[in-house]
Parts: sequence; structure tokens; C-alpha cells
Amino acid sequence: MGRIRLLMYVLCGLFYPFFLSAQRDAAHALMFGQGGSNQFDTYLSPMEYKGSQFTFLRETLRMTQRAKERLSFQSLTQGTFSMTENPAQNANEYGGHIGYNAGWHYNWMLRERLRLMAGGLLGADAGFLYNERNGNNPAQARLKADMALSLAGIYKFRLRRQVLALRYQADLPLMGCMFSPQYGQSYWEISQGNRDHNVCFTSPGNALSLRQLFTLDFPVRRFTIRTGYFSDIRQSHVNGIKMHDISRSFLIGFVRHFSIIQDKERKEELIL
Amino acid sequence: MICLFCAVLICFTFSSCQKGMDEADSSPEVNLQALWEIIDQHYCFLDYKAEEIGLDWNAIRSTYLGKLSPQMSRTQLFEVLCQMLSELRDGHVNLYSSADVGRNWSWKEDYPDNLNTEVRDEYLGTDYKIAAGLKYKILDDNIGYILYESFQNGFGEGNLDDVIYYMRLCNGLIIDVRSNSGGFLTYAERFSSRFTNEKILVGYNSHKTGPGHNDFSKPEPEYLKPSEGVRWQKNVIVLTNRACFSSTNTFVRNMKECPLVTILGDKTGGGGGMPFTSEIPIGWSVRFSACPSYDARMQQIEFGIDPDVTCSLDCKDVENGHDTLIDTARQMLSE
Repeated sequence: MGRIRLLMYVLCGLFYPFFLSAQRDAAHALMFGQGGSNQFDTYLSPMEYKGSQFTFLRETLRMTQRAKERLSFQSLTQGTFSMTENPAQNANEYGGHIGYNAGWHYNWMLRERLRLMAGGLLGADAGFLYNERNGNNPAQARLKADMALSLAGIYKFRLRRQVLALRYQADLPLMGCMFSPQYGQSYWEISQGNRDHNVCFTSPGNALSLRQLFTLDFPVRRFTIRTGYFSDIRQSHVNGIKMHDISRSFLIGFVRHFSIIQDKERKEELIL
Repeated sequence: MICLFCAVLICFTFSSCQKGMDEADSSPEVNLQALWEIIDQHYCFLDYKAEEIGLDWNAIRSTYLGKLSPQMSRTQLFEVLCQMLSELRDGHVNLYSSADVGRNWSWKEDYPDNLNTEVRDEYLGTDYKIAAGLKYKILDDNIGYILYESFQNGFGEGNLDDVIYYMRLCNGLIIDVRSNSGGFLTYAERFSSRFTNEKILVGYNSHKTGPGHNDFSKPEPEYLKPSEGVRWQKNVIVLTNRACFSSTNTFVRNMKECPLVTILGDKTGGGGGMPFTSEIPIGWSVRFSACPSYDARMQQIEFGIDPDVTCSLDCKDVENGHDTLIDTARQMLSE
């Protein structure tokens, strides 16, 4: 419980600057994606289920006036729905989760066009995985909160007088907590109030996960279109239950830029 | 930190994650091994059945591996796997293929039914009432009779209020759950909560905490709280036979702890483990007991619960259109 309380303090501390900062340049993006999903959860089945999934991502990235205007704030809302089937193709699983991540990056500008960012994100996520033919263990609830190390790089370049932005970001959860039933515990038992180590501390040692986002922004008339590739690998091995939830999607969406100073020449200076 | 991050990235790229079986496989040996492991790591009565019926799960693996051949058909493989599971003698253990359901129903098939439905239906007649899953009637000697055929058929608190209120002037109540093979635990708890005025201990439940045969959590007490609806305050007799299984077994366990309740008939069929489901690479799903439950004295109920009064169906009574158990219960309640 001590570690969970420490995590809560860290979460509060990290969110505190969010309420104090003033907005300067900001980019809001909305993306939709479709791709493959691989679900594995030994509470439901020893088999890996594979299929397709749909994703949406909403991102806000903006500069603040803190740390000599080198601190940026990012928030990421993610929702996913997957439909997968077992290798024998005679059973299905349906899964979904929605999550919110927010945090701060310190920015370094290299050679004017390349921006490197390093920081941390705090996230919370809720979801489920439902196996349509299981009896008393038909579904697994997914609840987690974590703190992730986040690294990103943004490279801007010109192509036919247009400014394009290439971005790569990787987030690695370092510590957090998650819900899990005990090895053979039923949800009926949990509903009766019988708890057994159902909130577990997570770290890369027992929940090695990684989220990667690779995007390209390019203008089309007045709009900025974003295409990209999103990889979200979640794993855990707690209470004797092994799971992975791997999704990879191709994304498409659009970006809206907001700036205090309206100047086309400043477009290259915008964060994205 | 950045180096560590890069190292993790590289690890992710080249190393394996938490992995499961990712290909369908119909080979007999792979499927028998997968099925054996599921039971070995998740089934909750291996040690208990080793003591009670001499089950040796390790030896069973060798025995049944010897019955396999690479050329065997799916049907033949299904038969061998079902035979292996039958060694567990558990009605909650099934193997499901698209063509069949593997089962061991010896818990009821090896014993007399103690029930003739045609004779029983004569007691109900045609003017009985139906409240959701409950059929009920006041018999000629002012004894209430409730027939509950399956815990799959639900009922609400309002149904129970109406049924019990309707029978409030009866001298006693008979609840017939013979051949009720179970369903939802919620209904077992909801029904039995009408027969106690105090919170009472009815049993314990537990779950596995790891793959070892004896890896169990500390048993948690299970209490039955009195319903806030209409509660029965007179004598009750619950009729049982060997086909009372699973949730019905739990209902009988709960009722046995309630005051003014007598269990009459044959021993129940058992089924004291809550079943979970898993699957093997060929695509067949398997159901097995995963979470054991016990009675209020921490005794296993997997092989059934003894009645307070043993009573069997008499063939001569049946010939005369009488149900021995119902008649005995009516007589006891009228005394």
C-alpha cells in the first residue's frame, strides 16, 4: 500500500504544473486507426487470439512558459476496440479500453529543425476482454494507472514549399498499479467482498509495456493531415496470470494549430 | 536513463513477450498434454480426489499418452480425452467439441432417480401457479408445495414475496429441487435467504493461488443474510435426489443451516467447485472445477450432501400414483 500511496503523491505533483501553466503554441490532433490485435490472457485461455482492432487517439501538445519556454505539455486520450479469434477459429474475444495520459517533456532544439523531448507521462486506463464461450470466467477487467518515461523527436523539413513534421515518440511505463484477480479467483468471489492481492504494483519487471507513435504531418490547403503508425504493447505477469495485449494500427487524422501570434512565417517554429 | 530506454526498445524488438499458444494444432499428443496441464494447474480437487478415490493425475498422463496414435481421427482423440477427464468423476468437467459434449454423469446415472415426473405432475395438477421459474400450489392438506426445476430459470425478490405470502396460512412448506442440476448461485442465495431471520454461516469458499495442487487461498466464510422481503417462519422440507447438482447443491447446503428446515430424500449429486472454462489447441473448450466451496464445518461438498432424513421412492407407491417423498414430507409437516 505504501508504494501505491507514493505513486499517488507523484501523480498529484506531476499534474500540479498543468493547472498553473499558461498556453502558448498548441497542436490538437484527432486520429483514427485500424490494424491488428493480439490478445492473450491465461485467466481466459492459454491460446493467443488474433484479429483486428480500431483505435482513436486525441492528442494535445503545447508549449508552456515554464523552464524558459522549454517545457511542453502533452495529453493523449486513447480508445481501442478489438475483435479477435482463437487459432482454431471457433471462438471469439472482444476487448476494449479507454485511457488518458498526460505529462511534461523538456525540449531541446537541435539544428533548428530537430526537437528532442524527454519527460514523463501519467496515465490511467480502464478496459475489458470478453471471451464469448467461457462460463464463470467470461471476462477480464482491465484497470491500471502508471507513470511512464517518454522520449520523442520531431523533425521538420520543407518539401515543395510546404512544412512537414516527422515525429517519433516512445513511452515506457516505469511504475504503477493494476487490478488483477488472483490466479484462480472468480469475479463472483470478488463481488462477495473477498479480496486477495487484487491491486498489484507494476514495473518493467512484471509489466513490461511500450507505446510507440510514429507520425507524419503535412498540410493540405488550410488543413494539416496526420498519418502514422501506432504500436501499443501491454504485458503483465501478476498473480500467476500472464497477459499481453498487442495492437498495431495505421492512423489517419488531422491537426489543428493554435498560436498566440498569427504569423505564417512562424509555422516552422510551432511545436508540430 | 536514455540508454536504459534504448536497451528496453532493443529488447522489445528482439526478445519474446508473454507468449501463449498461437497456432491451432490437432496433433493428439499436443492436445492431450495441453488438456492435462490445464487440469494439473487449475483443477481444484486433485489432492482431495487422490485421498477419496485414489486419483493419481501424474499416472493418468502416462496411461493416456499410451492410448494415442498419430493417425487417430478427431473422434477417437475426443474419446480418449473424455476418458481421461472422466477419471476426475466430476460433473463440472466437460470437453466440448462441435460434435459432442464429453461428460461423466456417474454422480446421477449410477443411482436411483427417486423421482417419477408423471406422478409428481399429478400433485401439481393443472391449476398450479407459476412465478418466474417457480411452480407452486397449496396441497389439499394445507401444505405449500414449490417445484423449482432449474437454477437457470431466474426469479426476483418480488416473485418470492408473492409466493411466500400466498402460502402464509399453510401448515408447512415443501420445496422440491429433485433433478435440479443447478444454474446461478445468485438464485440459490436469494431463495435460501427467505428461511433465516439471522445472518448465519453457511460455508466457506476458496480459490487457487498458483499452479500447485495445494495452492489455495485462506477459506473465506460465506454468510447467508436474511432477506428484507417476506420470510418463511414455519417448518420446511427440501426434497433432494442424486441429480441435485452444482447450485442446487449449494442451495441445499445453505438450507441445511437454516432453522426449521429438514432435507429429505437421497444424498445430493455434489458439484462443490465453481467451474471455469479454458481451451486446447484443437479448438475444443474444457470446463473444470476451479474454486472449491465447503460447508459450515469446512467439509467438502464435492461428492454431495447427506439428507437429514433418507427417503426413497417406493415402486408400489408410484404404481398407485403416489410420490413417496412428497407423501412423507406432507406427513411430517402435518404432525
